[in-house]
Order: sequence, then C-alpha cells, then structure tokens
Amino acid sequence: MATKILSVDDSRTIRLIVARAFKPYDCTVLEAGNGEEGLAAAAREKPDLIILDVTMPVMDGVTMLTKLKEDEALKTTPVIMLTAESGRDNVLQIAKLGVRDYLVKPFKEDQLIEKAGRVVSLQKKAA
Amino acid sequence: MSQTLQLPNIAKFMSAHLVDVFETMLSMKAVPKHGEPMPHFASRVTGAVGFAGDTVNGAVYLHLSAPFAVKVAATMLGIAPEEISGESDVNDVVGEATNMVTGGLKSWLCDNNAPCAMSTPAIIRGTAFSIEPMPDVERDWLVFQCDDEFVIVEIHIKLN
Repeated sequence: MATKILSVDDSRTIRLIVARAFKPYDCTVLEAGNGEEGLAAAAREKPDLIILDVTMPVMDGVTMLTKLKEDEALKTTPVIMLTAESGRDNVLQIAKLGVRDYLVKPFKEDQLIEKAGRVVSLQKKAA
Repeated sequence: MSQTLQLPNIAKFMSAHLVDVFETMLSMKAVPKHGEPMPHFASRVTGAVGFAGDTVNGAVYLHLSAPFAVKVAATMLGIAPEEISGESDVNDVVGEATNMVTGGLKSWLCDNNAPCAMSTPAIIRGTAFSIEPMPDVERDWLVFQCDDEFVIVEIHIKLN
C-alpha cells in the first residue's frame, strides 16, 4: 500500500515541491493549506507522515501540532516540521513539541526525502 | 545598539543568505554587486515580510523585475515560463522566497539576542513605486546579479 503523506503549508509552491520530491516513490501526497485544514485531513486520511509548515494563517503549525498531540487517534502520527527559521530558540521550541525531525527552508528535495525516509518506508516506484 | 546588530553586519549576513536561498531553491547563482545603485525596473514584483520583537522590528523587501519574477516562479515550480498562467503562482513563489530570506534574518537576530516574530508575506506590484522608511528606521539595500537580471533585497530595521 502506498505511503500516505500529508503536506500542510500555506504556500502552494512548497506543497508542489514536497509533492514533486515524493513523486518517484510509491506515495500518495495529500495537501492542506493551513493547520485547520491539516487537522481535518489528518483525522480523515490517517497519514503515515505529516510535513508541516510552522508559519501559516488561520492556524499555524505549532498550534496544529499541539492539537495533534492531544488527539488520541493522531498523537503518534510522525511529523516533520518545515521552518524558514533556524534560530536556536525556534529549533528548541519545535523539538519540545515532539516532532520527529525538522527541515529549514531553503531545502533541497533530497534532504526532505532523506529525513522522511528515516521515519517512513519509501519504496521507489517500479520503472 | 549592540555592535553585532549594526546594519552593516545584518547586510553582510543577508548578502550570503540570499545567495544560499537562490542556490538551494532555484539552482541560480546570485552574485552580490557591492555599491551598486538601486536598479530601476520597468515593472516590478516585490515580496514583503515584516518582523517585530521587543528589541527589533522592521521589514524585508525582495524586488524582482516582473519578467524575472516569472522566470524565478517557473524555475521553482519546475515548469516552463509560458506555463505560468497568472499572477498567483508568481506571487506565491516571490512571497515564499521573501519568507525564506526573512526567516534567515529572523534566525540571525534570534541568535544575537534580538528575538522577533515574522509576518506572512505580502506582494506589491507596480511600475513606479518606492518604499520609504518610517522615521528612525535604518534602511539598506543589497543588489545581486542573477543571470542578466538584478535582484534587490531592501532591509528596513529599527532597534529599540
């Protein structure tokens, strides 16, 4: 069965880059434009991994992650945070929230795949 | 004002950071052109992200010519420039690039004891406009050459 990945980012550009990165793999990439939509999608789709932006309108990534951790059905879903901010306070705050890993923008697609591959099984699509 | 937070140090960091953002996300080489006057664009797309904290506030503006903004958007999205159908894709890419550039500055400020929060990006489009700083706000701009085009990063900063 394809690995289900939920990309939550207000930027269509980043969602597209995330989807493109996973295209060679047997993955289904779902998208949400903010934390509120992301929570709804997570509850509905039960993804294997969430790639979550920090700064978003409506509901930011930190709030979404906090709510995710409060939800019995979703709290074990692994999350990789995407952030434009690499400052130590920001990184510490993210680490305290219980994320599996984080990636600082700008990033290369292979960096994302490497981090995701440590969390979920990524199988190359058959040629 | 702390010696570290002087505008020349901020400009030095931002110069290297923009080169990194363009190289990583676009595989484009941006070359800093020190001392270059602000280039004039016939039409311009500008990304703007504000930042504010107890000790520092300001904004970062990323200026691109409208045709180069289309090229940058196409490159980041992995499509041909002709496939860019409207302004929304270009706005999103320029906004995200501005977010990454400003995110680096935010991190640098945070690591230098000037934590702040960032706004979400806004886009300004026009043919002849200038952005004037508020009183007591320091301004600097950095010019880069990328392919045959110019990229400008304009920094407005006020240290309380």
